Parts: sequence; C-alpha cells; structure tokens
Amino acid sequence: MDTAAVPRQATQFKVIDCDVHPYVKDGLKSVFPYMPEAWVQRFMRKRANVSQEARSLKYLHPNGAVNRDDARPPCGGVSGSDPHYLVQDLLEKNKIEHAVLNCLQTGSLCSTLASTDESIVLCSAFNDFLINEWLTVDNRLKFAMSVPSQDPQASAAEIRRIGKHSQIVAVSLPLLNILMGNRYWWPIYEAAQEVDLPILVHVTGPDSIFYGPPISAGGIPDSYVERYVTLNQAGESSVNSLVFSGIFEKFPRLKVIFVEYGFLWLLPLLWRMDRTWRQLRHEVPWVKKSPVEYVHQHIRFSTQPIDEPRDPKDLDKLIEIMGYDQLCFSTDYPHWDNDMPGQSLRGLPSAERQKIFWNNAYTTFRMA
Amino acid sequence: MANVREKKEVSVGKAADFAVGQFKIVEIDGREIGITRLKSGELRAVRNHCPHKGAPVCKGIVGGTWLPCGPGEMVYGRDGEVLVCPWHGFEFDLLTGSELFQDKPLKLLMYAATERDGEVVVSV
Repeated sequence: MDTAAVPRQATQFKVIDCDVHPYVKDGLKSVFPYMPEAWVQRFMRKRANVSQEARSLKYLHPNGAVNRDDARPPCGGVSGSDPHYLVQDLLEKNKIEHAVLNCLQTGSLCSTLASTDESIVLCSAFNDFLINEWLTVDNRLKFAMSVPSQDPQASAAEIRRIGKHSQIVAVSLPLLNILMGNRYWWPIYEAAQEVDLPILVHVTGPDSIFYGPPISAGGIPDSYVERYVTLNQAGESSVNSLVFSGIFEKFPRLKVIFVEYGFLWLLPLLWRMDRTWRQLRHEVPWVKKSPVEYVHQHIRFSTQPIDEPRDPKDLDKLIEIMGYDQLCFSTDYPHWDNDMPGQSLRGLPSAERQKIFWNNAYTTFRMA
Repeated sequence: MANVREKKEVSVGKAADFAVGQFKIVEIDGREIGITRLKSGELRAVRNHCPHKGAPVCKGIVGGTWLPCGPGEMVYGRDGEVLVCPWHGFEFDLLTGSELFQDKPLKLLMYAATERDGEVVVSV
C-alpha cells in the first residue's frame, strides 16, 4: 500500500467530490448567448424550456423535489443554480478541495429529451455556459463536460473542441439503451483517451421512463421508490459489457467512473464474471485476463448513495473485501439523497478512508 | 515402516487401440483413468475427475481453443492439446495438465503412460 501520498490527518480529510450538479438559473434562456441565433429563434418559437426533472407523474419525487429545498441560493433560483452560493454552501462548509460538476440538464437533453441536432447545439451551449459562468468563479470547481451522445462523431468533436480546458477533468457520457461495450461508442472513447479524460457515466434523469436511455430490467417500475432502487442495473450491465467487449484492450488507457450507481453489487458481479470467463473465455478471446483485473485497472465507482446495512460494520467489511482502490467519494449535492464527507464511511481505517476521499479520484480524473 | 508409496504398472491394452484425440477410459483399483494419444504420439493418462467439481473430465471435448487476441480478431490454435470439461467448460492443457490462461490454474491428476512391447502401460 502506498501511504506516502496520504496526508496524516486524523479527523480532517482532503476531499474530492465526484458528483455535484449545476443548474441553469434562468432556464434555457441562460444558454442562448452560447448558440447561433437561428437556434435561439427555433427554441423561442417552440417555447422550449428545461426542467429540473424530466419525469412523468408517477416518478415525481414523493416530497416534491429531487433538489434540496434548504440548498436554494438566498438570491433566488433553484438549488445548485448559483456557483457562488454552491462554493460557500458545499465546498467551504465541507472543506472540499475539488468538486466535479456534472450537468444533468445537459445529460437528459442529450440522451433523450432533445432531437439529435438540437442536442448537439444545446450540449455545446451548456458546456460553454458552465465554462464561462461557473469555472471562472472558483478554481476548485472542475467539470465533467457533456457530449451529445446521440451522435458519437459530434461527441468526439466536442471532446476535441474543449477537452483540453484545464478545469475539465472528465467526459460525462449520457448513456443510451446501447451497452457501453458496443462499437457505437468507439469514437467517443478514442477522443477521450486522446485527451486523457476518463468517461464519467451517471443516470441522466429520463432513465427507465422514456425510450432512449437505459431502462430497468424486467419491466417498468411503478413508483419513484421502485425506479430509484433499480437504477444500478444499467451500471452492472455496462461494467459487464465494457469488459467482455474488450473495450480496455481496444483503448488501453481508457478509464471509466460510474457515478451514483451504487457499488456493493460489484462484488457478486465480479465473482460471476470471473467464473464465467474461466468457463467460456474462448468465446471472447480478446479478454486476456480475469475481468476482475480489468475492473480494478480501469473502472471506479462513486460512493453516494452509500448503502446502509442496519449494522454499519457490515458495510465496512464488504468494502474491505472489495478493496479500497475502487471507490471515489461523492456528495450528489444538491440532491435530497446526498452524503456529506463528515458523516460518510466513518468506520473505515484512516488511511483507507483518505484513499476513497482523495487518492482514488485524484488518479482517475485528469487533475494534474 | 517408511511411508513410501510403491507405484505399480498396469497394462491397459494394445497400443494400436489408443487413437489421437480420443479418450479410452479404464478402471484401475476403483479409479477411472482416461488415456489418450497426442498428435506427437505421446500418451496422456488422466484421472477422470475434474479438479473443479468432480465431473468425468475425460468425456469432454479434445480439441484446440481460441487464443488470446485483439478485439475483433479470432485465432484458433493448440489443436488436439486442449481438454474441455463437459460440465463447466474449464479448459486444460493436455501437455501439462494445467488449466489454461490462469494465474493460479487447477491441475488435472495425471499418471505416467508409456508404450512397451505393443502395450500401453500406466503407472499408478
């Protein structure tokens, strides 16, 4: 174990937060300055706007909002729409040194809600809006730039257009109902690898609700609760697909971080993948080593929402079995189910906790 | 008395009856042993009991396998040198007895088998 890079702080850890959600303050109008006039006119004529939650009735949050009411900026607007307040309310209060912004409004438009052409224009506009109006506020704000995933070539072009920005640390890829090992995604992986950015995947909002993004296995859930519990399934399918399709042989420097998919499911998944590879390896001969090794080398998982066994020691034990190199801490601010660093993973040994709060993310995102 | 296990040699049939790529299974002292001939002419005698979960491994496929290669490629090799367990598909190298492509391979239990005066003789 490399302990040299771990600061000796017993109670206060250095923290990278891998999952923070920015929102536009004035709806779609916020990004009009970042798109051609013809497109502004089109969206105005359509009376287009952007919502916080791309949901049908049965999946609306039972308490009214996914975003925390107590995180609303004092100057108005939805939670997460004021970068100055976010810095104060999240970073300062919790001593977070880097926060990775991931815009789900862009993600849901790109995966599902906008047409392919609309999504290409909107994605660049949202990216430029966040670069100009958020990243300039504080250098601690980092950015997982979005890509218009309905068009892999346009996505690769967007990565090459802005991917070298020093505060961009990942490519946020809005998933479609096409598994991540599919060749459809190759242009995006190639471009991301070219600029040393990891691929970050996160539920974008319309998942399991509309045709387009990944859907839950077995059928359509009947409530917010049911849907929420099943959202990890696309994570499992994606890990499986990435490994057995040989993506990490094709793109040997590619890294992927699964954000907000949970992580405890990884243990039985890896055992099953390893056993099946041992049995039928020759069907996928490009998988040259155990799937467990590919996952440890190329894939990370964010912690939130941390599962809560009734005996917290059970969680500590399962993480010990998984190994401490897989996990990266995340809050999911300003969402209702967020985890704050002071209350998270308190039963783990100090050096291992520091890995999860800092080291693993530092070596996964393009931080240097 | 010294704890030395004496090996005994057992004749299991005429050499001409052991074909390349096929197992002939015999029983010696209650143990099933499969004997086959490699393309090189060498013989292999294998305990008919998979080290994974006890399957009759000698009733599996004798053939080659698809070798580690790049994505989208397909390379067939080791023809006649690979035994595939009929239950869970574990692949064993008939040259060495080791499970293929594993850091910590399982091993087939193998016995010395030779040809003498037109007979195949197994040491057990």
